[in-house]
Amino acid sequence: MSNDAPDPILDRAIDELRRLPPVDPVAIRRIVDAAAEARVTAADEPVFVVGSSGRSIRIWSAIGLAAAAAVAGFIVRGAVTSKTPAQVVAQAPSATTSESLRQVVSSSAESSPILQQFIFENAHAHSVSVVGDFNKWDRSTAPMQRSSDDATWSVIIPIVPGRHIYGYMVDDSLFTLDPRAPKVKDVDLGTEGSVVMVGRP
Amino acid sequence: MTSAPLQRPAPATALDSTTISRAKLGDIDAFTAIVEAYHSRCLRFARAMLRNPDDAEDMVQEAFVRLYRALPRYEERQRFESWLFQILGNCCRTANTAFRRHDARTVDDDVLTRVPSPHMTGAALDNEWGDDVRRALADVPDYNREIFLLHYIEGFAYDEIERMTGIKQSALKMRVKRASDMLRSKLAARYG
Repeated sequence: MSNDAPDPILDRAIDELRRLPPVDPVAIRRIVDAAAEARVTAADEPVFVVGSSGRSIRIWSAIGLAAAAAVAGFIVRGAVTSKTPAQVVAQAPSATTSESLRQVVSSSAESSPILQQFIFENAHAHSVSVVGDFNKWDRSTAPMQRSSDDATWSVIIPIVPGRHIYGYMVDDSLFTLDPRAPKVKDVDLGTEGSVVMVGRP
Repeated sequence: MTSAPLQRPAPATALDSTTISRAKLGDIDAFTAIVEAYHSRCLRFARAMLRNPDDAEDMVQEAFVRLYRALPRYEERQRFESWLFQILGNCCRTANTAFRRHDARTVDDDVLTRVPSPHMTGAALDNEWGDDVRRALADVPDYNREIFLLHYIEGFAYDEIERMTGIKQSALKMRVKRASDMLRSKLAARYG
């Protein structure tokens, strides 16, 4: 099997190694339960979306009130971006705006969600949303709002402190990295994502 | 040698794309069908991959949990089976590294006596040939053993393994050849 010439020992060894363990319904049940529990835990992470214009607010989960209180104290420093010709692929905000792209605004506890602003520039997109491990990569939970200059998209969302992988979903179909953020390879998917550190170092 | 097609390819696991699509949406029944379809193969792979085969059940569970959490991001540009074994391979490599770090002194002797055959009954443990094969395989370095298992036992083609691991096909073939040579020479010493 493994060679042009017959190799009976290796063939026999491979046959032996291909023997499957018996089906174990108990182990399968345990895995399904563990996965369901893990997914529920992720879904219970607070997702709280506020457009930069303040027009749309959506609150999930039991900590909605706490997040709302945090938003009340939110202050946005000006995030100025320069218009850059863009195709469907998103363009980066200008370097002068880098420090204002992500701002940690308020947190009453180390583990409390912290408001995080994302700004993305693309003059030709019809819709942009932030997707990441913090919202289960669901493109519907963090839609970005187009600014008055028609080129800049932004959103502020509360994220649990820690290291998170994210990206932007342009027109519901094109996953785009944040050109200003470090990149990391997702070990499960083999693709790259942008990295954001939320919270105190 | 290793570029020759398998004469008896490993049977593919049948799973329709609808099941995967439903699982992506969080359908737990669809996910259960996935686990049922792949659990035995994953367990076989993990037992052969891990320096401590006792960890196989835990690693398989870890891989399925990671897969379930990542399912919403699965874009179907990659074959589902490849993706699952990529995740499982990551889990096993991490576990092997931790195991080596934790207690390197006991690895060799313990593994040789604990490598289980697929059927854990007393009669199966008497399967001398099977035990010898697993002992010989445990001696093959991890990085060669993984590719050997993916190709000859799980039936992945080299181009697919290249996409899974990022390792060039020429290097993959060399690893499989080295694993095969080592396995053959160890078994030939007793059975040749």
